[in-house]
Amino acid sequence: MTFIMYLVLFSFVLGLVAVASNPSPYFAALGLVVVAGMGCGVLVGHGGPFLSLVLFLIYLGGMLVVFAYSAALAAEPYPETWGSRPVVTYMVVYLAGVVLVSALFWGGWYESSWGSADELGEFSMFRGDMAGVALMYSAGGWMLVISAWVLLLTLFVVLELTRGLSRGALRAV
Amino acid sequence: MNPYIMALLLFGLGLGTTITFASSHWLLAWMGLEINTLAIIPLMAQHHHPRAVEATTKYFLTQATAAAMLLFASTTNAWLTGEWDIQQMSHPLPTTMITLALALKIGLAPMHSWMPEVLQGLDLTTGLILSTWQKLAPFALFLQIHPNNSTILITLGLASTLVGGWGGLNQTQLRKILAYSSIAHLGWMTLVLQFAPSLTLLTLLTYFVMTFSAFLVFKLNKATTVNSLAISWAKTPILTSLAPLILLSLGGLPPLTGFLPKWLILQELTKQGLPLLATFAALTALLSLYFYLRLSYAMTLTMFPNNLAGSAPWRFHSPQLTLPLAVSTATAILTLPLAPAAMALFAP
Amino acid sequence: MLKILIPTFMLIPTTWLTPAKWLWPTTLAQSFIIALASLTWLKNLSETGWSCLSTYLATDALSTPLLVLTCWLLPLMILASQKHTALEPVNRQRMYITLLTSLQFFLILAFGATELIMFYVMFEATLIPTLIIITRWGNQTERLNAGTYFLFYTLAGSLPLLVALLLLQNNTGTLSLLTLQYSNPLPLVSYADKLWWAGCLLAFLVKMPLYGVHLWLPKAHVEAPIAGSMVLAAVLLKLGGYGMMRMMIMLEPLTEKLSYPFIIFALWGVIMTGSICLRQTDLKSLIAYSSVSHMGLVAGGILIQTPWGFTGALILMIAHGLTSSALFCLANTNYERTHSRTMILARGLQMVLPLMATWWFIASLANLALPPLPNLMGELMIITSLFSWSWWTLALTGAGTLITAAYSLYMFLMTQRGPLPPHLIALEPTHSREHLLILLHLLPLMLLTLKPELIWGWTA
Repeated sequence: MTFIMYLVLFSFVLGLVAVASNPSPYFAALGLVVVAGMGCGVLVGHGGPFLSLVLFLIYLGGMLVVFAYSAALAAEPYPETWGSRPVVTYMVVYLAGVVLVSALFWGGWYESSWGSADELGEFSMFRGDMAGVALMYSAGGWMLVISAWVLLLTLFVVLELTRGLSRGALRAV
Repeated sequence: MNPYIMALLLFGLGLGTTITFASSHWLLAWMGLEINTLAIIPLMAQHHHPRAVEATTKYFLTQATAAAMLLFASTTNAWLTGEWDIQQMSHPLPTTMITLALALKIGLAPMHSWMPEVLQGLDLTTGLILSTWQKLAPFALFLQIHPNNSTILITLGLASTLVGGWGGLNQTQLRKILAYSSIAHLGWMTLVLQFAPSLTLLTLLTYFVMTFSAFLVFKLNKATTVNSLAISWAKTPILTSLAPLILLSLGGLPPLTGFLPKWLILQELTKQGLPLLATFAALTALLSLYFYLRLSYAMTLTMFPNNLAGSAPWRFHSPQLTLPLAVSTATAILTLPLAPAAMALFAP
Repeated sequence: MLKILIPTFMLIPTTWLTPAKWLWPTTLAQSFIIALASLTWLKNLSETGWSCLSTYLATDALSTPLLVLTCWLLPLMILASQKHTALEPVNRQRMYITLLTSLQFFLILAFGATELIMFYVMFEATLIPTLIIITRWGNQTERLNAGTYFLFYTLAGSLPLLVALLLLQNNTGTLSLLTLQYSNPLPLVSYADKLWWAGCLLAFLVKMPLYGVHLWLPKAHVEAPIAGSMVLAAVLLKLGGYGMMRMMIMLEPLTEKLSYPFIIFALWGVIMTGSICLRQTDLKSLIAYSSVSHMGLVAGGILIQTPWGFTGALILMIAHGLTSSALFCLANTNYERTHSRTMILARGLQMVLPLMATWWFIASLANLALPPLPNLMGELMIITSLFSWSWWTLALTGAGTLITAAYSLYMFLMTQRGPLPPHLIALEPTHSREHLLILLHLLPLMLLTLKPELIWGWTA
């Protein structure tokens, strides 16, 4: 388990570095996908499968769309890839930064599980993170309304920003 | 822009600030800030020219960074103290991080450089919203967390007053000048934040009134550079003669309104045993005063020659609504004698 | 106080509501009535020294002469400005009079204030009208530079004063002039207290101006229109002297030692600015530097802190106010005819304007402190009190007096005597308005010879 967590966390950091150091959208978006997946892995490892599933489905679904979209929009014939010099330089610098910072906090990391099981039956279990989400739906009704409203607002914002074929604010140049 | 979408966006602006105001939970406060940012972005980019889009992008990036930092800090706070409540900040680490995040959000000095660039890309109405309404929500949080790290606050405040004065000296663009003036004023508010939060609020509101008048004056003249102010005497003669008073009020010259917050802040600082800081802050206000004075020179105190046809525009009736400008101008110039009332209104 | 303040304020509606034809006569008449009414302040019967007390305002023997001088100057400024604003649109003329009136309003509040903070606010409030008068109605483009100098010299000096006053408020709990002198003496021992002392006086020394921080004054004087020069020389500089006299009570144990460099600077400035006057080609600049020289003497008299020093300073301030204002008016009559301040271009004017030459003569004599004018009385008292402090000051003050006489004569001879240059033949004749203007400056000066106790303040 420890080995898997190490692997997942290392891939997580590597994905972040890939996002930060790659100028071409292919690899940056790929890095984002990797980060999202590995983040879900970390969550599972710490005992939150429900949240990680939600994240995986929603976030990764959105990210795939973004990946396809940005790859289609900014298709470069010869993108700067992993081997090229500036990317490698950036990656080395970022990784060195991560190593430096993690050296400071090395002793503070330990494996634990914060997920709690509230009710245990014969063949059923009621998990804490699921309960929290259910609570949010039942008690925080207004939160839900606001969230829905914000989603609507976001939709309009995105439409307003990308509206128009050639005169939209954001467009493929 | 479609009026329905406009209404939706303006409603979003109001909703974001209201949610931040009303929340006691960090998550909701963060949500309010994000709604605010999201709602103003199409307003900023509504004229689809590259300068506006650039400004929008810069604004979005800085605000997103600040909001993410805020969320991270409040999560850290919950991790460290088990508390999501805004008013119960006890650990110094998240408090400091939140202070810095909010400083980035409102544009205090070491994190200020987005502010002039962004404001320069906007039209004057959106710029007015950006430099007044958008400051409210972060300040509501600022006032609630009681930041008590005096070194950071004083450094931020003093650096802002200095940078705000210094940066504006060489500008010919009105919106950049107003951005630097905003930075300087926010610096004054930050200086007194840990000693008398009510004074911060008073300063914020007087700043709103003064900057509202300044923006509207420029809007009425359709002026965005110092040069185009020079012919304002032919467009709006009475306003031209009042404009130096508004500007000097922004500079904080007695007996105008702008002197009130500066006076009270200096008094609070001396009361706290910081006379040297008070003197230094007062002297940095001279830097700002210099560019306000330059604007007054260009606008009113010299008369730019104009041909006969060019001196007639004041005869035409302007379609713009002038009542808000009249009210705010009177308030921006004349309310120093109401100082006791203002202090009583904002007393804790 | 309100008997004067409200009519002064109502001058603004008068200015905007009278028909254009009657604008100048009406405002002149009203301001004259105010000036005459202000003379009642001179009758001070109270034992405490304070009279006309209200919640925020009062007069005493120190402020009364300056208040009356302020009220006296407004009609004279209106009288002097008629010619050069005549060509402007009538609304701009009204705006000009409004600015002059607001200046008088703020000045009355400044001199009459019983709170140091209110004095401070009004002291600063006079900056805005003066700035607008200088930079809007001045003649050359250098006026903008002069306005910047004026504003920033004054503010850089007076912002530390604000902090110093707030500190004083924290220590004593009051800034009322009526009670401040009875509060506990401050234990002024530390290094910070010395800085506080400097902060208290620096604003006034800049305003005065002390030699070394005087550079704003000649610029402002030269570039200002006539009314600006008049009020600047006659009243605004006196704010510095007045404020110093008020603050001196609180600064007691420190002033004895710390004032030495400032006294020396002031006296050295008398000689230096006098020497500058001797080689001046610009008439208004000459009068401005002569103001710096006289005010140096006043600063010395105040800093020496003897009753004679204070009395001499107050007398000299009033006398110099009237004299220098008269000289600026005379310079303006030349300027309105020749459109130049250069003395070489306007010589021998006695030939064409003989009565003006008389006024020039009297004003120059007043400037060099001829007996029995109050100028002499003030200078003599200051020189005496300085002499009793240290004999060596006599070298400086004596040389200063000599140089003053020399440049006054230089000014008179240069402008009035000698042959008339050929380009000045077709000069406009003098108007009775101008004669009245100068007379109203010089008559009070001469009459004060007969009753100097009106302006000699607290003591003697």
